[in-house]
Amino acid sequence: MPEDSPRFLPGTLYMLILRTLSAGPLHGYAITRRIKQCSADVLDVEEGSLYPALNRMLLKGWLRAEWGTSETNRKVRFYKLTKEGQNQLASEANDFDKLVKAIQLVMRTA
Amino acid sequence: MSFLRELLLRFRWLLGRSRFNSELADEIQFHIESRAAELEQAGIPSGEALSKARREFGSRRRAAEDTSSAWQIQWLEDLFSDLRYAARAFRRNPGFAATAIFCLALGIGANITIFNVTTSFLFSEPSARDSASVIAIWEGGNSGSSLTDYKFLRDSHVFDSTAGINVEREVNWRAGDQTSRLYAGVVTDDFFTTLDVPFLLGRGIAPRETDTAVLSYGAWRGKFNGDLAILGRKLVLDGRIFTIAGVLPANHRSIVGFAISPDVYLPVTRDEDVVQFYARMPKGMTMPMARAQLLSVFGQLDRIHPKEGWKRTNQVRVTGVTGFDVLNQEIPGGVAAFFAMLMIVVGLVLLIACTNVAGLLLARASSRSHELAIRLSLGATRRRIIRHLLAESLLLCALGSVAGLVIDIACAMIIDKVTFPLPIPIHPVISPDWRLLWYSFGAVLVSALFCGLLSAAKSVRRDVNQALKQEERQTGHAWDLRSVLVAGQLAASIVLLTAGLLFVHNLLRAASSDPGFDVHHTIWAYMRLVPERYTDADQNKQLAVVHSALEQLRVLPGVDSVAITRRVPLNDNCVIGTALRTDVSATPLQVSYECNDVGPDYFHTIGTPILRGREFSVADRKSSQPVVIVNETLARTVFGKVDPVGHTIKSDLTGAETQLIVGVAKDSKYFTLGERQRLAVYQPYFAYRQPVNLHFLIRTSSSPAGYAKPISDILGRLDPTAAIETKPMSQALGLALLPSQAGAVMLGAMGILGLLLAAIGLYGVLLYSISRRTREIGLRVALGATPFDVLRIIGRQSLALVASGMVVGLTLAFFATKPLTLFLIPGLSTFDPGAVLAVMGLLGAVAVLATLVPAIRALRIDPMTALRYE
Repeated sequence: MPEDSPRFLPGTLYMLILRTLSAGPLHGYAITRRIKQCSADVLDVEEGSLYPALNRMLLKGWLRAEWGTSETNRKVRFYKLTKEGQNQLASEANDFDKLVKAIQLVMRTA
Repeated sequence: MSFLRELLLRFRWLLGRSRFNSELADEIQFHIESRAAELEQAGIPSGEALSKARREFGSRRRAAEDTSSAWQIQWLEDLFSDLRYAARAFRRNPGFAATAIFCLALGIGANITIFNVTTSFLFSEPSARDSASVIAIWEGGNSGSSLTDYKFLRDSHVFDSTAGINVEREVNWRAGDQTSRLYAGVVTDDFFTTLDVPFLLGRGIAPRETDTAVLSYGAWRGKFNGDLAILGRKLVLDGRIFTIAGVLPANHRSIVGFAISPDVYLPVTRDEDVVQFYARMPKGMTMPMARAQLLSVFGQLDRIHPKEGWKRTNQVRVTGVTGFDVLNQEIPGGVAAFFAMLMIVVGLVLLIACTNVAGLLLARASSRSHELAIRLSLGATRRRIIRHLLAESLLLCALGSVAGLVIDIACAMIIDKVTFPLPIPIHPVISPDWRLLWYSFGAVLVSALFCGLLSAAKSVRRDVNQALKQEERQTGHAWDLRSVLVAGQLAASIVLLTAGLLFVHNLLRAASSDPGFDVHHTIWAYMRLVPERYTDADQNKQLAVVHSALEQLRVLPGVDSVAITRRVPLNDNCVIGTALRTDVSATPLQVSYECNDVGPDYFHTIGTPILRGREFSVADRKSSQPVVIVNETLARTVFGKVDPVGHTIKSDLTGAETQLIVGVAKDSKYFTLGERQRLAVYQPYFAYRQPVNLHFLIRTSSSPAGYAKPISDILGRLDPTAAIETKPMSQALGLALLPSQAGAVMLGAMGILGLLLAAIGLYGVLLYSISRRTREIGLRVALGATPFDVLRIIGRQSLALVASGMVVGLTLAFFATKPLTLFLIPGLSTFDPGAVLAVMGLLGAVAVLATLVPAIRALRIDPMTALRYE
């Protein structure tokens, strides 16, 4: 992990995972890779916190885990967004947008 | 909702925990391998790629634990670990755990058992569907009314359906060439359908059936060996043939309550039969509404079938059939008072058990302050330590409750086997009462938690450094909570023990008291004839049996005399309240007296002397002059100093007939041994119409053992269809002694239980508090105190504790036993100096032992060792 990579804003990991999965089911490793790719290698999910986060989201009912086969032909768990997860994503994204806009507003005008 | 779903998911995880862990390990492995493959593609050599991927991932174990913790129910995990810790602590200190569990088990077990017996007698829910809509009806204030009235009420359709039952019947059951007597309940043909009684086998008596029978579970098991193919079998009862239609389940509780359980239920057939009315109210009807409707129905009946001197509309009552409603029915006041007292006693025992455990926990907590201090200094949080202590209390209570339940179940099994020596079929159905188990558990838990918390708070509040340096030491003046508990416990057990001893005393006195007749040389032979075989109007057939029985028994070798009686004293009684007119006074006297019809030689046979005048003879019969014999008390009450022999009496019952007094019999007991002396009038047996229940009394010149068989044989030959039971009179005092026996057994047992618990508590606390002073004792000895001085100092502390407990206990006992007079033989004082001394002696001995043992042990230790002793 590059030393200068910005830390996740608190609470945004859930939102990023939800957004990543909104395109379709992925397994754990694919989620990290996708987040890394989409952020142009800026955001690197710490593996130690990925699985606890995924499990907490399973418990909250935002995700469902299903068995599937990986590209390398191995049996692995795929995480899939539920209806509740979609709702959660929408509301979190909305809140986040507002927050970012507000922060930007302050940064420009103050 | 989402909270519930989360909980559900968490529990599912808990169940599939090990599979989850291995799957997670797989997933992490896959993650690392995928990363390694990616690195390899980027050009890193394969061996290095894998180790780099592993380094990047970090601690796999940590990730797995963090993931698991997302699923864990934290408090449950903590609870389990606390309980495991508590169990380990108990294993290290088994004496403490065993004592506490033993105390709790006794307290809870005794409590539940007695409560269960009480509820099964008094408050049990009868076996019926929706028993809340069933009511008992008291026509004219009577518990039973004629079948004619019953049919009228049924056909009035005031209620959805009605039911009638009478459980005070007997029938002769003829099986092969054996005849025995069964307790029967007669029921109307709509009884079982109205109440919708559940059945074990078959069904109830159906409408319009007159020849079907239903067996109780007890009779089915005891008399038919639990034959599964019993349905359809024929029973010969009182000469009529009945077909068995059903068997009631083991947990059947009759609608009548009070644990009354007849062997067999038969359809009621005769219009003059008396039944108690029950009815099922339609939806929306309340008891006052039911009563209003009943008043109008009974009013119509009063107009159609008027009865002299009795109005059906008087004192009409409607009561429920469950719970406390049963108590609104007629209930013998003594029984209710007895059970009320028992409940208080049981509460006291539970209280003692609770204080015991509380005391033990307090002692334990303060002796562990060192351990707790170490844990605190090692970084355990106060909350965590308090939780540990509470978990210990919880575990103790749970184990104690389980052991108590085992005791309760054992007791229930024993009670189930007991046949009560009563002339009515009583068989309580005892099932564990979960509400009570929870209540007991709760009471114990609250006390344990309270003490656990108190001591825990005390130990964690103190400065850790100081606690580490020195243990808590107790010095002379310790009137702390523990001492108060022990004194209170002593007081409670003194109350229990005093009451218990009082009942034992009462039992001894009652058993040895003179009933006023001889029970050592008399035999009671009960012969019940089948009524259908003796239906002639002037009873000649029945009289022939009686006369031949008397003749044949009289010539049996060793038989001194034989007599017949309508009632056997102390087993059956008949009280008449009436205005008595005599020829010595113009004004009638309102009296209440015992009555009995007795044959010639009765007084000689039973051993009650005739003081003046004569016994009845064969000449006293229907056509002869009406004569009576009275007892001393009646003679004194009615005639004063005048000799009543030769005078006449006349009552409302005899109408115009005046009866000549021919003799005065010595007073005796009539219904219970403890009764106050009552008035009595005897009439000649052969002068009146008599029931088919024949009671022969046989006086033997030596011990009555061995006569039962020849007597039964003679009677059996006279009528093989008669049911015969023969026993020595000494065995027939069961009913008379039952109240004091039951009281003595119950209260005695509870008293001993209380004493045992109090002794354990006292011993434990004294032992503990003195062993805490080992260091102080060593110091005193080192400074030159003699062993005597030391014992005096320690003894003073124990003495103060014991003395204050005793003073409070004796004062309480003095007042608490006052209401017990109701159950005692008249004249027996509730203040029993012997019992007081015995109680004080017992508890004093325990206290001395508990003081001396640790004190002597402390004295034996070398002062230098004792000073170092911690």
